[in-house]
Amino acid sequence: MAKETKIRVRERVRVSDIILFILTLCLAVLFVIPVVFAFISAFKTNGEILANPLSLPAKWSLANFFDLFQRTDFFTATWHSLFLTIVSEILIIFIVPMGAYAIERRSTKVTRMIYTFFLAGMMIPFHLYMFPLFKEMKLFGIYGKLSGPICCYIAGSVAFGSLLYCSFLKGVPLEIEEAARIDGCGPFQTFWQVVFPLLGPCTASMIVLNGLGIWNDFLMPYLVLPSDRAKTINVEVYAFVGQFTARWDLIFAGTVISMVPALIIYVLLQKYFVKGITAGAAKG
Amino acid sequence: MKKKKLDWVTVGFLSPAFVFFVLFIIVPAIASVYYSFTSWDGVSPDVKFIGIRNYVEIFTSKRFYNALKNTVILTVFISLFENFFALVLALLVDHVFRLKNLFRSIFYIPVILSGIVSGFIWKTIYNYNFGVINSILGAMGKDGMKKDWIGDPKLALIMVGIVLVWKGAGYYMIIYLASLQGVPTDLIEAAKIDGANPWQIFRSITVPLISGAFTINFTLSLINGLKVFDQISVMTDGGPGFATETIVYLLYKVGFGEGRQGYGTAVGIVLLFLIILLNAVQQKFLKSREVQL
Repeated sequence: MAKETKIRVRERVRVSDIILFILTLCLAVLFVIPVVFAFISAFKTNGEILANPLSLPAKWSLANFFDLFQRTDFFTATWHSLFLTIVSEILIIFIVPMGAYAIERRSTKVTRMIYTFFLAGMMIPFHLYMFPLFKEMKLFGIYGKLSGPICCYIAGSVAFGSLLYCSFLKGVPLEIEEAARIDGCGPFQTFWQVVFPLLGPCTASMIVLNGLGIWNDFLMPYLVLPSDRAKTINVEVYAFVGQFTARWDLIFAGTVISMVPALIIYVLLQKYFVKGITAGAAKG
Repeated sequence: MKKKKLDWVTVGFLSPAFVFFVLFIIVPAIASVYYSFTSWDGVSPDVKFIGIRNYVEIFTSKRFYNALKNTVILTVFISLFENFFALVLALLVDHVFRLKNLFRSIFYIPVILSGIVSGFIWKTIYNYNFGVINSILGAMGKDGMKKDWIGDPKLALIMVGIVLVWKGAGYYMIIYLASLQGVPTDLIEAAKIDGANPWQIFRSITVPLISGAFTINFTLSLINGLKVFDQISVMTDGGPGFATETIVYLLYKVGFGEGRQGYGTAVGIVLLFLIILLNAVQQKFLKSREVQL
């Protein structure tokens, strides 16, 4: 019996399915090749990269990575990237869901206006206001410090975050909150102990999408952080392209260090990327 | 739960987000309107009000029109091809009979790279001496087709565009895919029974029903196209000459390279108007074609 069904399933595969599969496979290979190329190059010596970009390394060694951390201040850059991403995300997850909760659950004319105001703000390109922003940061004494970009990342996450959390909150039943209130929970406690845990998938989407944006950001740390030491991974890679035009091996090692954490998070938390994008698009 | 009056709890919940948003986006944005009417250099404390001179200079300078032209070419190129590939990828992933999830994941991988990293990787792929493309051409014995891909002013802009399409298509694919999965299968089955061929089904059922995704994706890709920066800075730095200098890049160059932040800010204001205008035109054009089930 089992054998028979198996055969039947196999018979259903049509020629058109095979053609479609091969076509998809070819496109997938084309899409992933540049990334694979970067990974392979990170293990090659500079001579090998220059001699033949298509070859595999003669010896797979981590020499480029050791060199990178010894010869340059890449450790500081990695630390800055991590610090900016993690601290910003913690503060964002503390600030943004509360705001969205107020907009969605304690809706008044004013909160609805503020929500519209947030969404309209999404249209303003960063480049438009960056010059006055840096002047303002100098005024506040956060220019040249890590807290400068962090404040801007929080501000930049408000609009998209409110959109995401508001659309998710619509699907959270009100009864639970009402029960918590009747049991004597204050609004703050109700939110953090009852509602927030229910927003888990939304928070995950927010962290992966927003965190990736911060991890990958270039212009803000490039312009705001002091230039007497390494800034972030991306800024260092950019600086290397200008500086060490003769050491492509080191730059490739740097790009791999930028890509690996993002790829790991992506592989582990893929569905939250998809959920976040579709939820954002449905409302945007 | 609809309340009419604002209470302190609401204020307490909403004000942190509101304060950050206003302080680090709205205040500098409003300030930039003011600075766009000044000759501010970004460093000296005295800011001289010069009326609309910056705007007059923008609309009479050849460099601005060149940047505008580059921006329009790049943005249109990116939007069209990103959406084309995104739709093709979404249809393939939706119909492929094995490894759906793996393919979807692979097509999304370029999206998670940073602008600098993706720009650098492609800069080496395009490299004249040891780039991948020229090496393949050399191996095939077609040395005559070798080109300095991003060093040639005629090619550079489109070459940068290709990188952006590669990097962005996966993002829009996710949105198309979600939309495709919302197309009811019974409608397609009914059309099949009535003898419609796959192209007719696609044209008359799928396309109208995913029109919402078209609107969103074209809007997003246009806005993102106007804001491209990282790849240009790492790959070409606006060059060769001014061949890849877009409005955003011009703004950055005059602001930081030439210390003319008042003028740069004015360019930014023009960019904002361009975004608003494009958005309005697009909404009108695409929204009218949307079909609700």
